Amino acid sequence: MTQPEELFNNVQIDLSALPDADEMEMISLEPAYKKVRYIVAGMINLFIITASWIFVFLQAEYLEFIYIPASVVTLIAIWIVIYNGLSFHYMSYAMREKDISYKSGWLWKSITTVPFNRVQHCDIRQGLIDRQFGLSKLTIYTAGGNSADLMIPGLLPGTAERIKNYILNSTEQSIETE
Amino acid sequence: MQELGSSLYQPQRQSIWAVVLILLKYLRVIARQMWPILLIVLIKPTEGRGLMVTLIALGVAFLSFIYAIVSYRRYYYFIQNNELCVRSGVFRKIVLNVPFDRIQSVDFKQNIIHQFFNVVSVQVDTAGSKGSELEIDAISLPHAEELRNTVLAYKKTHAAEVAESEGGIPPIPAMEEPPELIMALSPKDLMKVGISSNHLRTAAIIFAFFVGLADDVEQLLDWDVWGQLDDTTIAASILSFLVILLAVPLLLFVSFFITLIRTVLKYYDLKFWRDGNSYKVVSGLLTRNEKSIQRSKIQIIQWVTSPLKRMFGIFQMNIYQATSVNQGKDKSLVIPGCYMEQVEHTLDTIVPKFRDAVFTAHTMHPAIVILMVCIFGFIPALGFGFLAWYTGSIVQWILVLIFPLAIWMGILYQRKRKLRIHPDYIVSEGGIFGTTNKLIEIYKIQSVTIHSSPMQRRRGVTSLHIYTAGGDIAFPYINAQVAKQARNYILYRAEVEKKSWM
Repeated sequence: MTQPEELFNNVQIDLSALPDADEMEMISLEPAYKKVRYIVAGMINLFIITASWIFVFLQAEYLEFIYIPASVVTLIAIWIVIYNGLSFHYMSYAMREKDISYKSGWLWKSITTVPFNRVQHCDIRQGLIDRQFGLSKLTIYTAGGNSADLMIPGLLPGTAERIKNYILNSTEQSIETE
Repeated sequence: MQELGSSLYQPQRQSIWAVVLILLKYLRVIARQMWPILLIVLIKPTEGRGLMVTLIALGVAFLSFIYAIVSYRRYYYFIQNNELCVRSGVFRKIVLNVPFDRIQSVDFKQNIIHQFFNVVSVQVDTAGSKGSELEIDAISLPHAEELRNTVLAYKKTHAAEVAESEGGIPPIPAMEEPPELIMALSPKDLMKVGISSNHLRTAAIIFAFFVGLADDVEQLLDWDVWGQLDDTTIAASILSFLVILLAVPLLLFVSFFITLIRTVLKYYDLKFWRDGNSYKVVSGLLTRNEKSIQRSKIQIIQWVTSPLKRMFGIFQMNIYQATSVNQGKDKSLVIPGCYMEQVEHTLDTIVPKFRDAVFTAHTMHPAIVILMVCIFGFIPALGFGFLAWYTGSIVQWILVLIFPLAIWMGILYQRKRKLRIHPDYIVSEGGIFGTTNKLIEIYKIQSVTIHSSPMQRRRGVTSLHIYTAGGDIAFPYINAQVAKQARNYILYRAEVEKKSWM
């Protein structure tokens, strides 16, 4: 299997000279957001664990070995909580002159980049638990649909506002120069 | 025509026949909501209730009729200050003003009743906000055309003004050339389309429908449908084998006919036009549908062929346009039964330089076969496994076949799936038995994501997802280096491009 390592065979553009979205100084989220992640994931999974064990106690007479699937569910739920908390350390964002990127994921990594001149609008939201920790969530919408949107959680409200204004300014400028 | 034009500026009602169409629309809604009750009433008529049921039905029909008349009388449409305005509402007043700028397309639709009264229904699509779509149930064709021409004329002059005020080159007045008929689907080609459609999908839908129906009937009427089936099938396994041997061809036969009929109803006398900078498809036997897309709004062009289609040498072409979220695919143009020349001609008119472009192809890593075996192998195997557990019939033999089939399909997929890239375009090629090609112009891309799982990182591959306003494309197992370069290049192009992506 000989795969070409270069994107184009006949290079017209020096690809290595293009700005690389991976070589950026990434900014981490607020440390308080780690707690938010643990609390949210913990609450949901605690509910699932409780529900599955209640089911086990109700059905124990009728179904043998039902505690095995319930234990598996419990282990998975605990794993999800731990994964959610740990993946906090891998969430970060960065802005360049013309775009914004958001990186996330510990085992399953992903990085999304949205050019400012493709931004439709932005909004800032605060969930119930976010509010207790004084955090906001910034969502950047494009015309590419739900999965193409970029969401940065765990920001201080002031930071979120600043990023939003910066993006909207850049979007406006890019439209004016067009 | 001039009289019509001026009358559009006065609030006016729809054609009088709109009453009939509104009435039918309400009855259809009622029937859809009430169908389980209707089914019970029809199947199990209890004595003494006959009169009551008739009275209720008459009452509902009468009230619907009154409602239809009132809503007809309170519905006005007109043009004011370059806005299309509608005043309507029976109990509460609804005021809707749609600026011409926001109108994406004006489409006509004619079902058999429209055809009988010689009227059309008009669907106005607007950019963005959901719930601001506008529908006029029935107006005469000249009125509808006048309305559309007014909107299009405004949009054309307005676009020219904008271009001039920005110092750009005014668009070439290309609209003067007469509309060009790119393709007309002949009855013979229509049959080819019908025969080469996806019959297995129809079979699956029929199967799911009967399973669902049986469950519904069971709940509603206390009939043990499955129990009765079980009695007959499990009684003797030879019998069950015979039943399946007969049922499968019968199901395929029935689905073949259903697809054929559906194809004829949907694509009868299909005509694909290019009118200046917009593309238009008119088709349908009982309901004539007309859809158009402006060239600048096109985001993805797709052409598909399958083994059956390849035998006839035909392709299905889909043209996807920029849509707001949640509106789905029904805003795309579907042109089945195209020959290669017609596909090429369409590509030439939409993306003139595409066919001369030299592409670099990148394949997916062979490890994708493992992923495909999971999707086509393990997941169906689980389903069939449960079925075999419960019924113990010949279903278990399907299990033996699943994995070789899945591996074969995975290998076919890996061989075909390619990212073809040129400085201006990306073509996604894929398919298992057939071939699907999707063409995107790079500057129209909205955002890019690169995903990687631990397994993918170990093999030095990632998945590259690109998003446009008309749909997404994913390249699942692509060389990490290539994906990164592609991402950087796409972003660079999107950021420096001065052309508007729609």
